[in-house]
Amino acid sequence: MSLLNVTSVTVRYGALTALADIDLTIDAGEFFGLLGPNGAGKSTLMSTIAGLRRPNEGAVAIDGRSAGDPAARAALGLVPQGLALYPDLTAQENLEIFGALQGLGGAELRERVAELLKAVQLEDRRHDVVKSYSGGMKRRLNLAAGLLHRPKLLLCDEPTVGVDPQSRNAIFELLERLNAGGMTIIYSTHYMEEASRLCSRIGIIDHGRMLALGSLDGLLGEAREVTILQRPSLEAKFLELTGRALRE
Amino acid sequence: MRHIIVLVRKDLKHFVRDRAALLLTFLVPFALIALFGFIFGLYGSHGGPAGINVGVVDASGSPDGARLVAALKAEPAFNVITDEPGPNGTRTPLAEKDLDRLIRADRFRFALVLPPDFSSGDNIGLHVKLVENPQNNIETQMVTGLLQKTLFTSAPRLIGAHLQSLARRELGSDRLDRFDRRMAQTVASAFGGDEQQIYAHIRDGAMGWTAPAEAGAGGAGGTSDFMSRILKIDTVKVAGKGLSDRTATATQLVGGWAIQFLLFAVAASAVSLFYEKDHGIFQRLLAGSCPRSAILCSKFIYGMLIGLLQLLVLFIAGHFLFGIHLLPYVPALVLMCLGAAAACSAFGMLLASVAGSQDAARGLSTLAILTMSAIGGAWMPISLLPAAVQQVSKLTLVYWSMEGFGKVLWLHAALAELLVPFGILAGMTALILAISWWRFNRSTIFD
Repeated sequence: MSLLNVTSVTVRYGALTALADIDLTIDAGEFFGLLGPNGAGKSTLMSTIAGLRRPNEGAVAIDGRSAGDPAARAALGLVPQGLALYPDLTAQENLEIFGALQGLGGAELRERVAELLKAVQLEDRRHDVVKSYSGGMKRRLNLAAGLLHRPKLLLCDEPTVGVDPQSRNAIFELLERLNAGGMTIIYSTHYMEEASRLCSRIGIIDHGRMLALGSLDGLLGEAREVTILQRPSLEAKFLELTGRALRE
Repeated sequence: MRHIIVLVRKDLKHFVRDRAALLLTFLVPFALIALFGFIFGLYGSHGGPAGINVGVVDASGSPDGARLVAALKAEPAFNVITDEPGPNGTRTPLAEKDLDRLIRADRFRFALVLPPDFSSGDNIGLHVKLVENPQNNIETQMVTGLLQKTLFTSAPRLIGAHLQSLARRELGSDRLDRFDRRMAQTVASAFGGDEQQIYAHIRDGAMGWTAPAEAGAGGAGGTSDFMSRILKIDTVKVAGKGLSDRTATATQLVGGWAIQFLLFAVAASAVSLFYEKDHGIFQRLLAGSCPRSAILCSKFIYGMLIGLLQLLVLFIAGHFLFGIHLLPYVPALVLMCLGAAAACSAFGMLLASVAGSQDAARGLSTLAILTMSAIGGAWMPISLLPAAVQQVSKLTLVYWSMEGFGKVLWLHAALAELLVPFGILAGMTALILAISWWRFNRSTIFD
């Protein structure tokens, strides 16, 4: 059963076409990887799915509701690429604020905050201000803030940028647990090994177009053996599709 | 509404946690107000400048010259320097030839020379020479004004004495003495009074007026001086009755300082919108169930609350530092502070809506705040500004805030009398918010 339906979506910024006729269907419980170089249209697609940007053409539906509808918003959790946290507040205060804005309150909010602080292993530092945290701790808290209202669909926009291997592994394990529990996850990343480890299906996007879409095995099966390692890899497939020219 | 309350609470938590913001909002303005009070002479026994070094060369060697030097020394604005260190710890009286060197060495920037014919020339009047380094035009005008005031206050008596000496030279001592005695006798019989005392005054040239040194510092109490005999002015205060000069000045100044500090504080708060945008916080909020209007409303309300608090704190500081009377006027003052804080907070929103980045917002806010403060009357009475600027100043929220504070603290206006300034501030707030809202919807801040 599909949870997300992106149908013929086109988004333009003036004369620039950021997304061109994108079609994408994601089933409930999927772990979907979105790969693309800088400026490929990943963030625009994420924003459009999150209802932050209205498509010029086409439609986005989450759980049968148009993106942007209150019910669709309630079903969606967003982990932005930036550290969307208040640095002068503590981890607990941050989660309490974001939870309250999602409609939680009272004992339910307190329990959920405690649960998530434990899940991202920040219980001991819950009363420390966020600006005193390491990059990995901030990333884990950033993830927790997107999970407060138990969303059906989680959008993760490069959630492991600049973190140490331990924190990255902790984030992976949490996401895998959430996915195993039934949460649908769209994971945008530059790192092929992350997509290889986590995602059951992958889309490669560039210049606003979906260049490839399929399971990891399917994409690897299509990859030509042109890499230095002389073996099929997701990175080889990615470079084959998007080219080797540097992107700014 | 829940969103707005949560976001305002968040901003207040942030604010309380941010020591720099607390310092900038409360302590720095408090310290600056105290400093401005010092600059404007609100701590001394007299208002105005004090201790300006002025060199004085008395080449006349006359009693009149000595009287004028004494009058200058009695003026609190001046620190009169009449000599300089000589060899072996001695003091050497200043000479006119020394002045150029001492002014260039910045020992003082102004010097007054009383030449040998200071009060003994053939013409009726005094002859003095002012040597100056007009480095600062305002300072030069102020010092020359104060020197003129002291000279004019002393002049009548000195001129009287000079007239006596001219008459003595022309008539001879005996004939002048007979004339003075006859005059004293006539005055005493016509108007009453002690004939001997009147004679002594006429002989000294003090014909009924009091020397400034006797009348009090600066001649302020010289009600019997020559000029006042010619033109008597009765002053009637319609406001500020019973207030000391210090309190009266502070009452007029503190509002201007407060509104300027408030504008800087709310501008900083509005700039924080860009931080939240750049870090994806808006994305997170908007992707949830928080609408744009809640984000903007929360920022406006937060700015207004902080502004209200800051204004009240600054007026309380004015009360403790300068004795501004607040207690009887608290409701009216709170109302005006609320109007001013709302307008300032809206102004902060406008800044954020027209600027494209934090840096742009900071630069724009500094320029706009200083301009508005200057032309709105926060720095000086707008009557000192050109007529065209005075008209423009009425378009600024600073002007109407100052107007409101003045009505409350100076004219002690009732709540109903605040309708105009408060209403105009409320109208400005609504207009600025509407423009901000329109601009925010066209800008990229929520992208």
